[in-house]
Amino acid sequence: MDNFHSEHHISSRFDKDLESIHTKIIAMGGLVEQQLSLAIKAFTTCNIEMAEQVLRQDNLIDEYESIIDTECVNTIALRQPTGSDLSLLIDIIKVTSELEGIAAKAEGIADITIQLNQARPV
Amino acid sequence: MDNSKIAHHISENFNKELEDIRNKVLAMGGLVEEQIELAIKALTTGDMELAESVIKQDNDVDYFEMEIDAECTQIIALRQPAAFDLRLLLTVLRIINELERIGDLAERIAKMAIYLSSKEGKSDHYLELQHMAGLVKEMLNGALDSFARMSVDDITEITGSDAQVDYEYASIIRQLITQMMEDPRNITRSMDMLWTVRALERIGDHSRYICEHLIYMVKGEDVRHLTQAELEEKMKS
Repeated sequence: MDNFHSEHHISSRFDKDLESIHTKIIAMGGLVEQQLSLAIKAFTTCNIEMAEQVLRQDNLIDEYESIIDTECVNTIALRQPTGSDLSLLIDIIKVTSELEGIAAKAEGIADITIQLNQARPV
Repeated sequence: MDNSKIAHHISENFNKELEDIRNKVLAMGGLVEEQIELAIKALTTGDMELAESVIKQDNDVDYFEMEIDAECTQIIALRQPAAFDLRLLLTVLRIINELERIGDLAERIAKMAIYLSSKEGKSDHYLELQHMAGLVKEMLNGALDSFARMSVDDITEITGSDAQVDYEYASIIRQLITQMMEDPRNITRSMDMLWTVRALERIGDHSRYICEHLIYMVKGEDVRHLTQAELEEKMKS
């Protein structure tokens, strides 16, 4: 089940590639979770500063997405994996794109929080 | 159709496989375009049967996605492509994902059409809605055309239209809000309209993402998250 840490590949470089991607995707996932919690907290507590923090951190997520994608594509091109290794890498590209989508929604919540708390209509 | 980008392989079969993938993506794109068109038509004419057929056809879109997805993965595994070929296949995976989402949004509009047709009264925003639908359809059509030609020469014109779509979106929303403030009885209807307009705006976004994926395919550069001005600058150089 654990494709990331199988160490069954003859090329230990490939295992290292996977390991590096694994670490990054876990970090990206954690950051996205944090963004979502922060955005909701900012919204419920009307905290503009916290909402702005969410907006500032969004480019980190974009960077993660871009770096993980590049690593996956390079690994596919260089190591030419097949079977479950290939599916894993392709799935990771899909996962990063979903994570980025979730982060964009968190950003949307932060945006709305700022809008709601800045303008106070009579 | 310019085949020079995909029909240069020594393996005749590989050429055929890539050609086949391209044709399937274009067929899927055509179907999704049709779905948007029909969904809007169903909404503006109150045609429930038409809306039902859009909802039914969404299965075909999903099926296309799964089939193309499986084919791409298989080709990558068997042919172990590099450079442009690999980018092409990875881009196809992303494009079909965007197309599937656009399909879902069209389905949502169709569901809204069914819901609204059971209510009285006609919205006075259909003209604006049709205009906005025309804009996003043009964007999607341009993106698919670029994919067919495998060229991104005029791509910034398409991505630039997204600003126009966002502008029209904001202007319809403002009108809806005004109506809601004028008479609270308008609120339900205005809210329903709002979801539809929102779906169209999202279709514009996804069409823009397809363009960004195409730039990656042709140029090998990741241009997601750039502003329109940055993108234009990059495409010039």
